[in-house]
Amino acid sequence: MNQGQDLIVDQRYDLIVIGSGPAGISAAINGVIRKKKVKVFGISDLSEKLTKAPRIDNYLGFFGVSGMDLKNSFANHIQKMDIQITEEKVDAVYAMGDHFAVSTRLNMYEATSVVVATGVSIKKSIPGEDVFLGKGVGYCATCDAPIYKNKVVAIVGYDVHAEEEANFMLDVASKVYYIPMYKPIKKIREGIEILEKKPKEIIGDDHAKKLLFQDGELEADGFFILKDSVDLDQLVPGVEIAEGHFKVDRHMETNIPGLYAAGDCTGKPYQYLKAAGEGQVAALNAVSYLDNR
Amino acid sequence: MKEVMDATFMEEVMNSEQPVLVDFWAPWCGPCKMVTPVMEELSTQYDGKIKVVKVNVDENPEISEALRITSIPTIVLFKEGQPKDAVVGFRPKQDFEKMIEKHL
Ligand SMILES: Cc1cc2nc3c(=O)[nH]c(=O)nc-3n(C[C@H](O)[C@H](O)[C@H](O)COP(=O)(O)OP(=O)(O)OC[C@H]3O[C@@H](n4cnc5c(N)ncnc54)[C@H](O)[C@@H]3O)c2cc1C
Repeated sequence: MNQGQDLIVDQRYDLIVIGSGPAGISAAINGVIRKKKVKVFGISDLSEKLTKAPRIDNYLGFFGVSGMDLKNSFANHIQKMDIQITEEKVDAVYAMGDHFAVSTRLNMYEATSVVVATGVSIKKSIPGEDVFLGKGVGYCATCDAPIYKNKVVAIVGYDVHAEEEANFMLDVASKVYYIPMYKPIKKIREGIEILEKKPKEIIGDDHAKKLLFQDGELEADGFFILKDSVDLDQLVPGVEIAEGHFKVDRHMETNIPGLYAAGDCTGKPYQYLKAAGEGQVAALNAVSYLDNR
Repeated sequence: MKEVMDATFMEEVMNSEQPVLVDFWAPWCGPCKMVTPVMEELSTQYDGKIKVVKVNVDENPEISEALRITSIPTIVLFKEGQPKDAVVGFRPKQDFEKMIEKHL
Protein backbone atom coordinates (compact mmCIF):
# COMPACT_ATOMS: atom_id res chain seq x y z
CA MET A 1 0.00 0.00 0.00
CA ASN A 2 2.79 2.37 0.89
CA GLN A 3 5.08 1.00 -1.69
CA GLY A 4 6.61 3.71 -3.83
CA GLN A 5 4.71 6.33 -1.90
CA ASP A 6 6.02 9.76 -2.60
CA LEU A 7 6.05 11.87 0.47
CA ILE A 8 4.54 15.00 -0.93
CA VAL A 9 4.03 17.63 1.71
CA ASP A 10 2.28 20.54 0.10
CA GLN A 11 2.06 22.84 3.09
CA ARG A 12 1.42 22.69 6.81
CA TYR A 13 -2.21 23.18 7.82
CA ASP A 14 -3.31 24.51 11.18
CA LEU A 15 -6.00 21.88 11.42
CA ILE A 16 -6.69 18.71 9.49
CA VAL A 17 -10.17 17.22 9.93
CA ILE A 18 -10.55 13.55 9.06
CA GLY A 19 -14.15 12.71 8.20
CA SER A 20 -16.94 14.63 6.50
CA GLY A 21 -19.94 13.62 8.62
CA PRO A 22 -21.70 16.07 10.95
CA ALA A 23 -18.78 15.95 13.41
CA GLY A 24 -16.12 16.71 10.83
CA ILE A 25 -18.16 19.36 9.02
CA SER A 26 -18.95 21.16 12.27
CA ALA A 27 -15.27 21.06 13.27
CA ALA A 28 -14.22 22.45 9.91
CA ILE A 29 -16.75 25.30 10.01
CA ASN A 30 -15.61 26.38 13.45
CA GLY A 31 -11.94 26.16 12.53
CA VAL A 32 -12.52 28.34 9.48
CA ILE A 33 -14.58 30.89 11.45
CA ARG A 34 -11.54 31.24 13.73
CA LYS A 35 -9.41 31.95 10.64
CA LYS A 36 -7.40 28.77 10.75
CA LYS A 37 -6.02 27.03 7.70
CA VAL A 38 -8.17 23.90 7.58
CA LYS A 39 -8.22 20.81 5.38
CA VAL A 40 -11.03 18.22 5.44
CA PHE A 41 -10.80 14.62 4.23
CA GLY A 42 -13.93 12.63 3.41
CA ILE A 43 -16.41 12.02 0.62
CA SER A 44 -18.36 14.44 -1.55
CA ASP A 45 -21.63 12.94 -0.25
CA LEU A 46 -20.43 13.84 3.27
CA SER A 47 -21.63 10.69 5.05
CA GLU A 48 -23.46 7.53 4.09
CA LYS A 49 -25.11 7.61 7.48
CA LEU A 50 -26.66 10.91 6.47
CA THR A 51 -27.77 10.07 2.96
CA LYS A 52 -29.26 6.75 4.07
CA ALA A 53 -31.40 8.05 6.94
CA PRO A 54 -35.06 7.95 5.88
CA ARG A 55 -36.39 10.58 8.28
CA ILE A 56 -34.84 12.58 11.09
CA ASP A 57 -36.90 14.06 13.92
CA ASN A 58 -34.25 14.93 16.46
CA TYR A 59 -32.07 17.44 14.65
CA LEU A 60 -32.87 20.82 16.14
CA GLY A 61 -34.62 23.05 13.64
CA PHE A 62 -35.13 20.32 11.01
CA PHE A 63 -38.24 18.36 12.02
CA GLY A 64 -39.08 15.46 9.72
CA VAL A 65 -36.22 16.11 7.32
CA SER A 66 -34.80 13.31 5.17
CA GLY A 67 -31.13 12.43 5.52
CA MET A 68 -30.55 13.49 1.92
CA ASP A 69 -32.09 16.92 2.56
CA LEU A 70 -30.05 17.43 5.71
CA LYS A 71 -26.93 16.44 3.76
CA ASN A 72 -27.80 19.03 1.11
CA SER A 73 -28.18 21.70 3.78
CA PHE A 74 -24.76 20.79 5.20
CA ALA A 75 -23.23 20.81 1.70
CA ASN A 76 -24.75 24.21 1.02
CA HIS A 77 -23.38 25.54 4.31
CA ILE A 78 -19.79 24.50 3.65
CA GLN A 79 -19.99 25.70 0.06
CA LYS A 80 -20.95 29.18 1.30
CA MET A 81 -17.92 29.13 3.58
CA ASP A 82 -15.70 27.92 0.75
CA ILE A 83 -14.76 24.67 2.48
CA GLN A 84 -13.72 21.92 0.09
CA ILE A 85 -13.56 18.24 0.86
CA THR A 86 -10.50 16.34 -0.24
CA GLU A 87 -11.69 12.93 -1.37
CA GLU A 88 -8.82 10.83 -0.15
CA LYS A 89 -8.92 8.11 2.45
CA VAL A 90 -6.58 8.70 5.34
CA ASP A 91 -4.49 5.62 6.17
CA ALA A 92 -2.67 6.89 9.21
CA VAL A 93 -2.03 9.88 11.45
CA TYR A 94 1.48 10.02 12.88
CA ALA A 95 2.23 12.11 15.95
CA MET A 96 5.69 13.41 15.11
CA GLY A 97 6.12 15.53 18.23
CA ASP A 98 5.53 19.14 17.15
CA HIS A 99 3.19 18.27 14.28
CA PHE A 100 1.15 15.49 12.71
CA ALA A 101 1.82 13.70 9.47
CA VAL A 102 -1.39 12.56 7.80
CA SER A 103 -0.88 9.94 5.12
CA THR A 104 -3.30 8.90 2.42
CA ARG A 105 -2.74 6.26 -0.21
CA LEU A 106 -0.91 8.72 -2.44
CA ASN A 107 0.03 11.77 -0.43
CA MET A 108 1.39 12.99 2.84
CA TYR A 109 0.03 16.08 4.56
CA GLU A 110 1.13 17.98 7.66
CA ALA A 111 -0.88 19.79 10.30
CA THR A 112 -0.25 21.27 13.71
CA SER A 113 -3.52 19.88 15.10
CA VAL A 114 -5.93 17.17 14.00
CA VAL A 115 -9.60 16.36 14.61
CA VAL A 116 -10.51 12.75 13.89
CA ALA A 117 -14.22 12.39 13.04
CA THR A 118 -14.31 9.12 11.15
CA GLY A 119 -17.53 7.71 12.61
CA VAL A 120 -17.77 4.05 13.53
CA SER A 121 -17.48 1.03 11.35
CA ILE A 122 -19.77 -1.91 11.86
CA LYS A 123 -17.21 -4.38 10.57
CA LYS A 124 -16.21 -6.74 13.33
CA SER A 125 -12.71 -8.03 13.70
CA ILE A 126 -11.83 -11.68 13.80
CA PRO A 127 -11.33 -13.06 17.32
CA GLY A 128 -7.63 -13.53 17.99
CA GLU A 129 -6.69 -10.79 15.53
CA ASP A 130 -5.64 -8.40 18.30
CA VAL A 131 -3.89 -11.13 20.30
CA PHE A 132 -1.51 -11.96 17.46
CA LEU A 133 -1.07 -8.48 16.02
CA GLY A 134 2.65 -8.18 15.25
CA LYS A 135 3.01 -11.89 15.93
CA GLY A 136 2.00 -13.15 12.53
CA VAL A 137 -1.02 -10.91 12.05
CA GLY A 138 -0.70 -7.64 10.15
CA TYR A 139 -2.76 -4.95 8.45
CA CYS A 140 -0.49 -3.96 5.59
CA ALA A 141 0.61 -6.83 3.37
CA THR A 142 2.83 -4.76 1.10
CA CYS A 143 4.64 -3.29 4.12
CA ASP A 144 5.48 -6.64 5.64
CA ALA A 145 6.01 -8.56 2.40
CA PRO A 146 9.81 -8.91 2.75
CA ILE A 147 9.28 -10.87 5.94
CA TYR A 148 7.16 -13.47 4.17
CA LYS A 149 9.60 -14.30 1.39
CA ASN A 150 8.98 -17.96 0.46
CA LYS A 151 6.40 -18.39 3.18
CA VAL A 152 2.69 -19.11 3.28
CA VAL A 153 0.41 -16.11 3.63
CA ALA A 154 -3.35 -15.87 4.12
CA ILE A 155 -5.10 -12.59 3.30
CA VAL A 156 -8.60 -11.76 4.47
CA GLY A 157 -9.87 -8.94 2.25
CA TYR A 158 -12.87 -6.80 3.16
CA ASP A 159 -13.00 -4.84 -0.09
CA VAL A 160 -11.53 -4.77 -3.62
CA HIS A 161 -8.56 -2.64 -2.53
CA ALA A 162 -7.24 -5.70 -0.72
CA GLU A 163 -6.85 -7.53 -4.04
CA GLU A 164 -3.95 -5.30 -5.03
CA GLU A 165 -2.07 -6.31 -1.91
CA ALA A 166 -2.80 -10.00 -2.41
CA ASN A 167 -1.58 -9.81 -6.01
CA PHE A 168 1.59 -8.11 -4.85
CA MET A 169 2.19 -10.73 -2.17
CA LEU A 170 2.17 -13.47 -4.82
CA ASP A 171 5.55 -12.22 -6.07
CA VAL A 172 7.10 -12.72 -2.67
CA ALA A 173 5.39 -15.52 -0.77
CA SER A 174 5.54 -19.20 -1.74
CA LYS A 175 1.77 -19.53 -1.40
CA VAL A 176 -1.02 -16.98 -1.08
CA TYR A 177 -4.55 -17.73 0.08
CA TYR A 178 -7.21 -15.07 -0.41
CA ILE A 179 -10.38 -15.04 1.68
CA PRO A 180 -12.80 -12.46 0.24
CA MET A 181 -15.38 -10.99 2.60
CA TYR A 182 -17.27 -9.26 -0.25
CA LYS A 183 -18.62 -9.96 -3.71
CA PRO A 184 -17.74 -9.98 -6.52
CA ILE A 185 -14.00 -10.47 -6.77
CA LYS A 186 -12.53 -8.22 -9.42
CA LYS A 187 -9.01 -9.19 -10.26
CA ILE A 188 -7.07 -11.79 -8.33
CA ARG A 189 -3.99 -13.14 -10.08
CA GLU A 190 -3.73 -16.72 -11.15
CA GLY A 191 -1.79 -18.73 -8.59
CA ILE A 192 -3.61 -17.26 -5.61
CA GLU A 193 -5.94 -19.76 -4.00
CA ILE A 194 -9.32 -18.26 -3.22
CA LEU A 195 -11.21 -19.64 -0.24
CA GLU A 196 -14.84 -18.58 0.01
CA LYS A 197 -15.19 -19.24 3.72
CA LYS A 198 -16.04 -17.21 6.75
CA PRO A 199 -13.17 -16.74 9.22
CA LYS A 200 -14.07 -17.70 12.77
CA GLU A 201 -10.88 -17.25 14.78
CA ILE A 202 -7.12 -16.94 14.59
CA ILE A 203 -5.27 -19.30 16.90
CA GLY A 204 -1.65 -20.04 17.75
CA ASP A 205 0.82 -20.17 20.62
CA ASP A 206 3.28 -17.28 20.87
CA HIS A 207 2.73 -16.77 17.17
CA ALA A 208 -0.36 -17.00 14.94
CA LYS A 209 -0.61 -20.45 13.36
CA LYS A 210 -4.08 -21.12 11.99
CA LEU A 211 -7.18 -19.43 10.72
CA LEU A 212 -10.27 -21.36 11.73
CA PHE A 213 -13.42 -21.48 9.60
CA GLN A 214 -16.88 -22.83 10.32
CA ASP A 215 -15.77 -25.90 8.42
CA GLY A 216 -12.06 -26.47 8.45
CA GLU A 217 -8.90 -24.51 9.06
CA LEU A 218 -5.97 -22.98 7.26
CA GLU A 219 -2.36 -23.06 8.35
CA ALA A 220 -0.06 -20.19 7.36
CA ASP A 221 3.02 -18.25 8.45
CA GLY A 222 1.34 -14.89 8.18
CA PHE A 223 -2.21 -13.56 8.24
CA PHE A 224 -3.29 -10.20 6.89
CA ILE A 225 -6.63 -8.62 7.69
CA LEU A 226 -7.30 -5.87 5.16
CA LYS A 227 -10.31 -3.75 6.05
CA ASP A 228 -11.77 -0.77 4.26
CA SER A 229 -11.79 1.23 7.44
CA VAL A 230 -8.86 0.76 9.73
CA ASP A 231 -9.32 0.35 13.45
CA LEU A 232 -8.90 3.55 15.40
CA ASP A 233 -5.58 2.60 16.97
CA GLN A 234 -4.32 1.56 13.54
CA LEU A 235 -5.41 4.90 12.15
CA VAL A 236 -3.63 6.78 14.95
CA PRO A 237 -0.77 4.66 16.31
CA GLY A 238 -0.29 5.27 20.02
CA VAL A 239 -3.73 6.70 20.69
CA GLU A 240 -5.60 5.52 23.77
CA ILE A 241 -8.77 3.54 23.15
CA ALA A 242 -11.52 2.82 25.66
CA GLU A 243 -14.14 0.22 24.76
CA GLY A 244 -13.58 0.53 21.06
CA HIS A 245 -13.71 4.33 20.91
CA PHE A 246 -11.22 7.17 21.25
CA LYS A 247 -10.68 8.09 24.86
CA VAL A 248 -11.29 11.85 25.12
CA ASP A 249 -11.66 14.40 27.89
CA ARG A 250 -14.17 17.26 28.07
CA HIS A 251 -12.08 19.16 25.53
CA MET A 252 -12.43 16.23 23.14
CA GLU A 253 -8.66 15.85 23.40
CA THR A 254 -7.08 12.40 23.20
CA ASN A 255 -3.97 11.27 25.11
CA ILE A 256 -1.91 12.84 22.31
CA PRO A 257 -1.63 16.63 22.73
CA GLY A 258 -3.09 18.45 19.73
CA LEU A 259 -5.13 15.45 18.60
CA TYR A 260 -8.88 15.66 19.09
CA ALA A 261 -11.74 13.31 18.28
CA ALA A 262 -15.45 13.96 17.73
CA GLY A 263 -18.67 12.19 16.78
CA ASP A 264 -19.50 8.49 16.79
CA CYS A 265 -15.81 7.57 17.07
CA THR A 266 -15.73 8.86 20.68
CA GLY A 267 -18.66 6.69 21.81
CA LYS A 268 -22.41 6.51 22.23
CA PRO A 269 -24.98 7.91 21.78
CA TYR A 270 -24.61 7.82 17.99
CA GLN A 271 -26.55 10.94 17.01
CA TYR A 272 -26.16 13.83 14.59
CA LEU A 273 -26.38 16.65 17.10
CA LYS A 274 -24.02 15.05 19.56
CA ALA A 275 -21.57 14.58 16.68
CA ALA A 276 -21.90 18.19 15.51
CA GLY A 277 -21.54 19.49 19.09
CA GLU A 278 -18.43 17.45 19.71
CA GLY A 279 -16.96 18.61 16.41
CA GLN A 280 -17.42 22.19 17.55
CA VAL A 281 -15.85 21.60 20.97
CA ALA A 282 -12.92 19.77 19.36
CA ALA A 283 -12.27 22.55 16.83
CA LEU A 284 -12.46 25.35 19.38
CA ASN A 285 -10.01 23.57 21.64
CA ALA A 286 -7.74 22.87 18.70
CA VAL A 287 -7.84 26.63 18.07
CA SER A 288 -6.74 27.35 21.67
CA TYR A 289 -4.04 24.73 21.31
CA LEU A 290 -2.80 26.49 18.16
CA ASP A 291 -2.98 29.95 19.73
CA ASN A 292 -1.07 28.89 22.85
CA ARG A 293 1.91 27.54 21.01
CA MET B 1 21.85 6.40 12.86
CA LYS B 2 24.09 3.40 12.34
CA GLU B 3 23.02 0.57 10.03
CA VAL B 4 23.56 -2.85 11.57
CA MET B 5 23.81 -6.05 9.48
CA ASP B 6 23.44 -9.76 10.09
CA ALA B 7 27.23 -9.88 10.33
CA THR B 8 27.64 -7.03 12.81
CA PHE B 9 24.55 -7.56 14.98
CA MET B 10 26.43 -9.61 17.59
CA GLU B 11 29.09 -6.99 18.10
CA GLU B 12 26.95 -3.85 17.78
CA VAL B 13 23.85 -4.96 19.69
CA MET B 14 24.37 -8.11 21.73
CA ASN B 15 27.76 -7.13 23.11
CA SER B 16 27.05 -3.44 23.55
CA GLU B 17 27.83 -1.84 26.91
CA GLN B 18 24.85 0.50 26.58
CA PRO B 19 21.23 -0.45 25.97
CA VAL B 20 20.47 -0.50 22.23
CA LEU B 21 17.28 0.54 20.49
CA VAL B 22 17.02 -1.38 17.22
CA ASP B 23 14.67 -0.20 14.48
CA PHE B 24 13.76 -3.00 12.06
CA TRP B 25 12.67 -1.40 8.80
CA ALA B 26 12.51 -1.70 5.03
CA PRO B 27 12.69 0.98 2.37
CA TRP B 28 9.19 0.31 1.00
CA CYS B 29 7.33 0.58 4.28
CA GLY B 30 5.52 3.88 4.83
CA PRO B 31 5.27 3.82 8.65
CA CYS B 32 9.03 3.01 8.77
CA LYS B 33 9.74 6.32 7.05
CA MET B 34 7.85 8.08 9.83
CA VAL B 35 9.69 6.24 12.59
CA THR B 36 13.13 7.21 11.27
CA PRO B 37 13.03 10.91 12.26
CA VAL B 38 11.69 9.95 15.69
CA MET B 39 14.58 7.49 16.14
CA GLU B 40 17.04 10.15 15.06
CA GLU B 41 15.68 12.56 17.65
CA LEU B 42 15.90 9.88 20.36
CA SER B 43 19.45 9.12 19.32
CA THR B 44 20.48 12.74 19.94
CA GLN B 45 18.37 13.09 23.08
CA TYR B 46 19.85 9.98 24.76
CA ASP B 47 23.37 10.38 23.39
CA GLY B 48 25.82 8.65 25.71
CA LYS B 49 23.04 6.70 27.46
CA ILE B 50 21.66 4.46 24.75
CA LYS B 51 22.64 3.52 21.25
CA VAL B 52 20.10 3.72 18.41
CA VAL B 53 20.62 1.59 15.30
CA LYS B 54 18.59 0.28 12.38
CA VAL B 55 18.36 -3.04 10.58
CA ASN B 56 17.07 -3.35 7.02
CA VAL B 57 15.01 -6.60 7.16
CA ASP B 58 15.14 -6.92 3.38
CA GLU B 59 18.91 -7.23 3.40
CA ASN B 60 19.32 -8.97 6.74
CA PRO B 61 16.91 -11.91 6.84
CA GLU B 62 18.92 -13.96 9.32
CA ILE B 63 18.62 -11.67 12.27
CA SER B 64 15.01 -10.78 11.45
CA GLU B 65 14.14 -14.49 11.34
CA ALA B 66 15.95 -15.25 14.55
CA LEU B 67 14.05 -12.53 16.39
CA ARG B 68 10.79 -13.46 14.65
CA ILE B 69 10.12 -9.99 13.35
CA THR B 70 6.80 -10.36 11.50
CA SER B 71 5.75 -6.75 11.05
CA ILE B 72 7.66 -3.60 10.34
CA PRO B 73 8.48 -1.26 11.77
CA THR B 74 9.34 -3.17 14.94
CA ILE B 75 11.50 -1.41 17.50
CA VAL B 76 13.28 -3.58 20.04
CA LEU B 77 15.20 -2.45 23.10
CA PHE B 78 18.18 -4.63 23.96
CA LYS B 79 19.96 -4.57 27.27
CA GLU B 80 22.90 -6.83 28.15
CA GLY B 81 22.28 -8.89 25.03
CA GLN B 82 18.61 -9.51 25.79
CA PRO B 83 15.53 -8.11 24.08
CA LYS B 84 13.73 -6.36 26.95
CA ASP B 85 10.90 -4.49 25.27
CA ALA B 86 9.42 -4.18 21.81
CA VAL B 87 7.00 -1.99 19.97
CA VAL B 88 5.30 -2.97 16.74
CA GLY B 89 4.37 -0.13 14.42
CA PHE B 90 4.70 3.60 14.69
CA ARG B 91 4.35 5.19 18.12
CA PRO B 92 4.46 8.81 19.25
CA LYS B 93 7.87 9.85 20.55
CA GLN B 94 6.76 9.96 24.21
CA ASP B 95 5.94 6.22 24.07
CA PHE B 96 9.53 5.43 23.11
CA GLU B 97 10.82 7.77 25.80
CA LYS B 98 8.80 5.86 28.42
CA MET B 99 10.17 2.56 27.16
CA ILE B 100 13.76 3.83 27.28
CA GLU B 101 13.45 5.45 30.73
CA LYS B 102 12.21 2.13 32.14
CA HIS B 103 15.46 0.43 31.22
CA LEU B 104 18.05 3.12 31.96
C1 LIG C 1 -29.91 4.71 8.69
C2 LIG C 1 -29.48 5.62 9.81
C3 LIG C 1 -30.37 6.50 10.39
C4 LIG C 1 -29.98 7.37 11.42
N1 LIG C 1 -30.90 8.22 11.94
C5 LIG C 1 -30.53 9.10 12.88
C6 LIG C 1 -31.46 10.05 13.40
O1 LIG C 1 -32.63 10.07 13.01
N2 LIG C 1 -31.04 10.92 14.34
C7 LIG C 1 -29.73 10.94 14.77
O2 LIG C 1 -29.39 11.80 15.60
N3 LIG C 1 -28.82 10.04 14.32
C8 LIG C 1 -29.19 9.12 13.39
N4 LIG C 1 -28.27 8.22 12.92
C9 LIG C 1 -26.90 8.21 13.49
C10 LIG C 1 -25.99 9.23 12.77
O3 LIG C 1 -25.96 8.87 11.43
C11 LIG C 1 -24.57 9.26 13.32
O4 LIG C 1 -24.59 9.42 14.72
C12 LIG C 1 -23.76 10.43 12.71
O5 LIG C 1 -23.72 10.31 11.32
C13 LIG C 1 -22.35 10.48 13.27
O6 LIG C 1 -21.62 11.49 12.64
P1 LIG C 1 -20.03 11.42 12.52
O7 LIG C 1 -19.64 12.71 11.88
O8 LIG C 1 -19.45 11.08 13.83
O9 LIG C 1 -19.71 10.19 11.58
P2 LIG C 1 -20.23 9.78 10.15
O10 LIG C 1 -21.50 10.44 9.80
O11 LIG C 1 -20.19 8.29 10.12
O12 LIG C 1 -19.12 10.37 9.16
C14 LIG C 1 -17.83 9.88 9.10
C15 LIG C 1 -17.20 10.32 7.80
O13 LIG C 1 -15.82 10.08 7.83
C16 LIG C 1 -15.40 9.51 6.62
N5 LIG C 1 -14.21 8.70 6.91
C17 LIG C 1 -14.12 7.60 7.70
N6 LIG C 1 -12.86 7.14 7.75
C18 LIG C 1 -12.14 7.98 6.97
C19 LIG C 1 -10.76 8.02 6.60
N7 LIG C 1 -9.88 7.12 7.07
N8 LIG C 1 -10.34 8.99 5.76
C20 LIG C 1 -11.21 9.91 5.28
N9 LIG C 1 -12.54 9.93 5.59
C21 LIG C 1 -12.98 8.96 6.42
C22 LIG C 1 -16.58 8.68 6.16
O14 LIG C 1 -16.55 8.48 4.77
C23 LIG C 1 -17.73 9.56 6.58
O15 LIG C 1 -17.98 10.48 5.55
C24 LIG C 1 -28.66 7.34 11.90
C25 LIG C 1 -27.74 6.44 11.33
C26 LIG C 1 -28.13 5.59 10.29
C27 LIG C 1 -27.12 4.64 9.70
